[in-house]
Amino acid sequence: MSGDHVALVDVNNFYVSCERVFDQRLVNRPVVVLSNNDGCVVARSQEAKDLGIGTGEPFFKVQRYIQSHNLAVRSSNYELYGDMSARVMELLGRFGTWHEVYSIDESFVGLEGNLEQVRTTAAQIRASIDKSIGVPVCVGVSSTKTLAKFANHIAKRNANLGGVCVSELMDQDVLDKIMSLVPATEVWGVGRKTGAKLAGMGIQSIADLKASDPLAIRKKFSVVLQRTVFELNGQRCIGPVEERSDKGQVMFTRSFSTPVRTREAMEEVMSIYAQKAASRLARENRYASLLTVTAGTSRFAKGEASFPTTQVRLRRPTRDPIVLTRLAIAAMNELMRPGVDYVRGGVILSGLSDTPGDQQLDLFGEAADPKEQESANVSQVVQNISAKFGAQAIGLGRAGIAQVPDWSMKREHISQRFTTHWDELPVVKA
Amino acid sequence: MSSAEPFVPEPSSAGPVQAVAAMGFPSPARDYFDGGLDLNQLLVKDRVSTFIMRVGGHSMQSAGIYDGDEVIVDRSLPVRHNSVVVLSLNGQMLIRRWQVNGSKTGLLCDESPIPVTLAEGDEVSIFGVVTRCLHHVR
Repeated sequence: MSGDHVALVDVNNFYVSCERVFDQRLVNRPVVVLSNNDGCVVARSQEAKDLGIGTGEPFFKVQRYIQSHNLAVRSSNYELYGDMSARVMELLGRFGTWHEVYSIDESFVGLEGNLEQVRTTAAQIRASIDKSIGVPVCVGVSSTKTLAKFANHIAKRNANLGGVCVSELMDQDVLDKIMSLVPATEVWGVGRKTGAKLAGMGIQSIADLKASDPLAIRKKFSVVLQRTVFELNGQRCIGPVEERSDKGQVMFTRSFSTPVRTREAMEEVMSIYAQKAASRLARENRYASLLTVTAGTSRFAKGEASFPTTQVRLRRPTRDPIVLTRLAIAAMNELMRPGVDYVRGGVILSGLSDTPGDQQLDLFGEAADPKEQESANVSQVVQNISAKFGAQAIGLGRAGIAQVPDWSMKREHISQRFTTHWDELPVVKA
Repeated sequence: MSSAEPFVPEPSSAGPVQAVAAMGFPSPARDYFDGGLDLNQLLVKDRVSTFIMRVGGHSMQSAGIYDGDEVIVDRSLPVRHNSVVVLSLNGQMLIRRWQVNGSKTGLLCDESPIPVTLAEGDEVSIFGVVTRCLHHVR
């Protein structure tokens, strides 16, 4: 069979692998990368997985392994991971007839040729990323995206395959056998909830799902799951996956490294996050109709508990950083209690649409506010400047300060930003 | 008149200088201008595999590489006899001349004129080949 095939390429333990490129001492050793604020484990090396460390485990629970098993710990270094990801993606783009970035460490790539050629290309992809960038990848190839994901699953769990699995080159019997052994929840797009419901209908394994009646699946679940069934049977029907933050919201909420207790500090938080959220919308060319501000005290603190959260419905969809910042500050100002230790907070924009609010509506609302006109101009300037010189270059209100506010992320175990900052280059000893 | 400070424009490294649009007569050079010199073009063969590192130490001076210089390292190039490479030796990142003598490999630098032969059990991995050195002249 020749023609067009789908490859799913992903980097093994991506964050850990990025750290290892610049620090060989991390090789063959359990390594974990922590979430924002060093809260919990977000990435693990194979050795750490073998120790039984789970994703999402709080850092303090795995700390004992540092002594007992030489566990290495790193804070998330998103500058580094982002740059390494961009390199992987660019290199992948050179191999495929088409290329879709699915996440920071995963891509779908279109490969052309007969199955043997495709297997050779897949092996080249793997070797080339390892040589040029230094991170290990697995490649799964098949006729549809869902099956390519499954082939990748096989490649990852069978070291003897050398990181590459072309499922159409496998014996049908073997493939059927694996499908009957692997639970349906391992299929791309089947979550735990769906899995439980499927199990209730007697659909346990991937083979069961593949053999199920697509119409019944559509009735009981959705057209999305129906497509999955088609794809498991080799019928390609999942199109380009849109690269967007997520379903319908842009969220900037974080834990603070030191509690925020004054109005001024909270204004700073709201203003920075509102502007980050606004610029995300600008990049994605979307508008929000609902603004949510939220903050909270620690569940474990002895002091007063306070969870101010409120929603502001916007008169018309907007992504204007000035409007959003002003509203976020005002809303939070009213709700927060100064003197209370807030440990997290942020801004969520939802009700997203691709078009700004209908101008007509304004005829019935307030007349077009000259102040808003003016703000549109200022917003444009702010957006232009941050697009050109980076988000830190300019800010509104309290976000405009250059020094890093003391509540921002705690990253005690961070490696250098080796590839993006001149003053953090790796040093080689001569 | 006060002696005002001379106007010094802010330096920028955001790429080549752009041609200025003439408002009256079009510049006769306009059709010939297609951007200034871009250092990336000269120094970076493939940005995917290129990394920049800083040198610490004095033992590679015979290769023209000095303390504090930046070196450009390309991971994609094959390592040959006498290539200057960045490598990790037992967890430490070094810059050395890679020597191959039959089945033996050694590392050469100014401090050890006889190549240090790699011992069994040494953990070595080559990061990449050094292609350029950005030497600080002043």
